[in-house]
Amino acid sequence: MPAIRRLVLRLHARHVWHAYLFVAPIIILFGAFRVAPSVQTLLYSVYRVELLRGRFTFIGLDNFRELLVDRAFQQAAWNTLVYVLVIVPVSAALGLLLAVLFDTRFPLRELFKALYFAPMVTSTVAAAVVWWWLYNPQFGLFNALLRLVGLPIQPWLMSSRTALFSIILFSVWKGVGYNMIVYLAGLQAIPESFIEAARIDGAGAFQRFRRITLPLLAPTTAFLLIYNSIQAFQVFDQVFVLTSGGPAGSTNVVVLDLYRQAFERYNFGYASAEATLLFVLTLGVTVVQYAYSKRFEVSY
Amino acid sequence: MQRRNVLKLALTAPLLASRRAWSQSKTITLWYPAGDITAGAAHFSDKSFFAPYEAKAGVKVEAVGLDYDTMQQKIFAAAAAKNAGDILFIDGSWIPGFLKEEMLDSVPDARAKAWLDAVSPEIRTLSDYGKGRMWGYPQYGIDIYGLTWNKDHFKEAGLDPEKPPRTWDEFRDYAKKLTKRDAQGNITRVGYAIRHVGHPHGIVHKHFWAIYGSGASLVDDPLALRGGKANFNNDGGRAALKLVLDMLDVDKSTSLNFPDPRAALLKGLASMQISETVSIHERAPKEAPDLKWGLSATPVRKAGDKPITLLGSWMYAVPKIAKNREAAWQLLEWINTPEQDFDLCKKYGATPRYKVNWEKEPFKSNPYDQALKQIYPYGKPLPVNLGLNGVMDAMGGAIQKTWHHEAKLEEALAEAERAANKAIADAAK
Repeated sequence: MPAIRRLVLRLHARHVWHAYLFVAPIIILFGAFRVAPSVQTLLYSVYRVELLRGRFTFIGLDNFRELLVDRAFQQAAWNTLVYVLVIVPVSAALGLLLAVLFDTRFPLRELFKALYFAPMVTSTVAAAVVWWWLYNPQFGLFNALLRLVGLPIQPWLMSSRTALFSIILFSVWKGVGYNMIVYLAGLQAIPESFIEAARIDGAGAFQRFRRITLPLLAPTTAFLLIYNSIQAFQVFDQVFVLTSGGPAGSTNVVVLDLYRQAFERYNFGYASAEATLLFVLTLGVTVVQYAYSKRFEVSY
Repeated sequence: MQRRNVLKLALTAPLLASRRAWSQSKTITLWYPAGDITAGAAHFSDKSFFAPYEAKAGVKVEAVGLDYDTMQQKIFAAAAAKNAGDILFIDGSWIPGFLKEEMLDSVPDARAKAWLDAVSPEIRTLSDYGKGRMWGYPQYGIDIYGLTWNKDHFKEAGLDPEKPPRTWDEFRDYAKKLTKRDAQGNITRVGYAIRHVGHPHGIVHKHFWAIYGSGASLVDDPLALRGGKANFNNDGGRAALKLVLDMLDVDKSTSLNFPDPRAALLKGLASMQISETVSIHERAPKEAPDLKWGLSATPVRKAGDKPITLLGSWMYAVPKIAKNREAAWQLLEWINTPEQDFDLCKKYGATPRYKVNWEKEPFKSNPYDQALKQIYPYGKPLPVNLGLNGVMDAMGGAIQKTWHHEAKLEEALAEAERAANKAIADAAK
């Protein structure tokens, strides 16, 4: 008893209670709106859920078994994977290219930087509606430009062959500004003395970039790859607005599929299983990326 | 002591007054899709719509507009939280999904019988969910899919502007003659515009006429809530999909580059399209005031066949969890009396539901109303099967895959049949 009393007094003296009190609101809100629904989703994935009737039937792994043979889900998973595999490296590479360009001084640099970053702070839905028109085969700007240079017009969102590419193009445009800003911060954090030393040693611009800049940017790259992957696995808004998953399921992605299962077919258990699989996949990729990036950690 | 009593009175009086006021004016909420989704929904924002009832019944009616694209989901989420509107103004094709969850209250049997006896045959078809069971009332101005065409384009192509194509062969021939190309051979105007992108349900709606007109159907028993089989992987289903496939690949009289048939017709980019007739009727005066358009039943597979086209409506329904369920039904009884049907249809230029009102002017001699009346007998509603959402997704997918050359017609239909049968079986569990 005296030991417990001593502990309480010590915590009190160190203002630990006050600290807990201050962090309590965010812990409670995070718990209520993030943790609890996530746990609930995990639980629902092993039940057949009839929400309105309040009936929950335990079915073990049946939802997962069905998922594995569900062609619509297989296509959605494949499309999501293609989307992730393209968008993550492309956004990062373009972001790096732009960051290197903006790391040098030139007139109106800040204005251009703001222009590249602007899509990031624009609502995805609003931007997607504008792009829907840009992609319009008859009146869209893209086909007007193609006509201008004598190239054949494209169906963009109207064809199952080009629709996913069109969505990826939109997403790259939307996300590249963020990648650029993060890389720019990374570039500016590299001590000038490193570059200077390499220059004195006779390293050319490309060598300096390859041997000094790129390795020192490894933590930034690791962060962006993880961040971009998590975002890409969750792609929904632009697909919902631009194509609704079509044509012929060619742009259907996992989050859209689970949304449909839950809110159009009311298969909440099945949708939860999809969400759980997506969570496991995202977590797995993130852990692998994080573990691998540890090898390239630098301090300066 | 006296001052304390005065203070108490001052504090409690507003509370008591507001409580009394609250209990006096009960509020019935009606949820409807906001925007230009359906002409009938726009009437709810007209303050005079509910005013007579509010005055008569001493209640307040609050119409709440929801975004159409997510309305079904919002209703479901709200129902799960037991907080949905008292009256739901919903797309008739959503009803099976809601019935699957046992969400809706049914119309009392006696009232349903009286309604079914008094309304015109097409309204009866839309109202009766089997053995006289009703889950709501279709709104006036029901929607039927029909062929609409640009009369000027017909004249330009040497076709009689008053004579639409009657058979599939004629339809293909007309579409070829109406198609226009630029110097490079790109199609600048399609003879017939098809819907092939967007939500699969919308794609099925706009090709329903060919699927059903060729002898196929979405499910084998349209009035069975549970069970049954998909009925489109057959000669009829193949013919229906092949019709457009041939127009795309052989005739080149339609194109995947004109995805919104109604907009294409209104903008002069298409000469023929098949969709909700009410939509062209509403939109043409605003978007294409100079457009001279014709309206008829959809073409048939071969001469002598009867056209079949999609008949749908928006429905007034009451969820079981409605807080003011009784008051909601009373309001619906009022809206759906023959007198209100006549007054509202006359006011808003819609077609009535009661047989007796069709005998009165202006409906009796209005050319548009009468043209619709000619098409109504060919109307068929969507099946009521609880797995309908899945069936429509499957069929919509098959149409897209075929027309987009993602899969061979037979493979696409076989895959869709498997998916549809699974959806039917899952929903029946």
